[in-house]
Amino acid sequence: MLSAASRKYPGIRAPLLLLLLLLAAVPSEAADTVAVEVGSVYASNEGASIDPALGTIRGKLQSMFNYTSYRMLDRKRRSLSVGEAGEFELPGRRTMRATLLPAQGDKVRLSIRISDGPRNLLTTTLGLRRGGMVLVGGPSHQAGVLILLISAE
Amino acid sequence: MDCRAALTSIEAKADGLLPREEAAELAGHLAGCPACSAEDAAISATGPVLRALTGIRAMEKAPALDAMWTRVRAGIEESGETRRRSSWIARWAWIPAAVALAVFALLFYPSGTDRAPFHPSSFDVAVEDVESDVATVALVDKGEDLPRVIWIIEDA
Repeated sequence: MLSAASRKYPGIRAPLLLLLLLLAAVPSEAADTVAVEVGSVYASNEGASIDPALGTIRGKLQSMFNYTSYRMLDRKRRSLSVGEAGEFELPGRRTMRATLLPAQGDKVRLSIRISDGPRNLLTTTLGLRRGGMVLVGGPSHQAGVLILLISAE
Repeated sequence: MDCRAALTSIEAKADGLLPREEAAELAGHLAGCPACSAEDAAISATGPVLRALTGIRAMEKAPALDAMWTRVRAGIEESGETRRRSSWIARWAWIPAAVALAVFALLFYPSGTDRAPFHPSSFDVAVEDVESDVATVALVDKGEDLPRVIWIIEDA
């Protein structure tokens, strides 16, 4: 269909090509870095709804925890290069700082620090694969808890 | 040939339409008829006079015709120039269109919270170290199919 359109409108070929190159360039840029994504999920026993934005994690959460409601409050993404730190604001005035550490192959190493004001809630170093995910949960939030979905691509 | 037929033949001869056989017959008549011969001479002289008059009128009108042709030629050249200019515009019009597309793609490339739902490909996670200043931390591992969980139990 595109080739037919480009035959009919020859002038459209160049912008189409440019657009495709541009779209292709974005993932290639991401390949040089690691995109760290943090989803903040509010888990509680208020109601019985599960946010569709949780994707395939919905069933995992249900099988691992006893909460009846899971709602995505926020989702943030930072592209980090080795040695670079990214700050993620979390619900409840908490913050998470992720630093990308050197790793080999498709492994990703992250130094994670979660703070609640001046208090250090958690400091950890994680090793996961690109596309992998780890959960950090427990901090209280409203009538339930926060569960952080930390993934790296 | 009588004089009436001769007059018709004379007009046909002046127009160049007289067949050869009739021309010979007309010549025979003219040789013996001074009236028709005079008519033939008058009509035959009319053609060159008309051609001369036409030439004179053409010479009189030549400057006006030249001016008109100059205007026509200028119009033709201007039309061609306009076509070339519009063709040039059509050839390069894709550049602003491409820039607009690029800006659009950059501005609206998925970001923030409107991305696709989570679909992790692996839960294989190594926890190298874990500590907390103000909470008890538990590491929960319920198998390869399920994510590893670091659970923070805030101290009361």
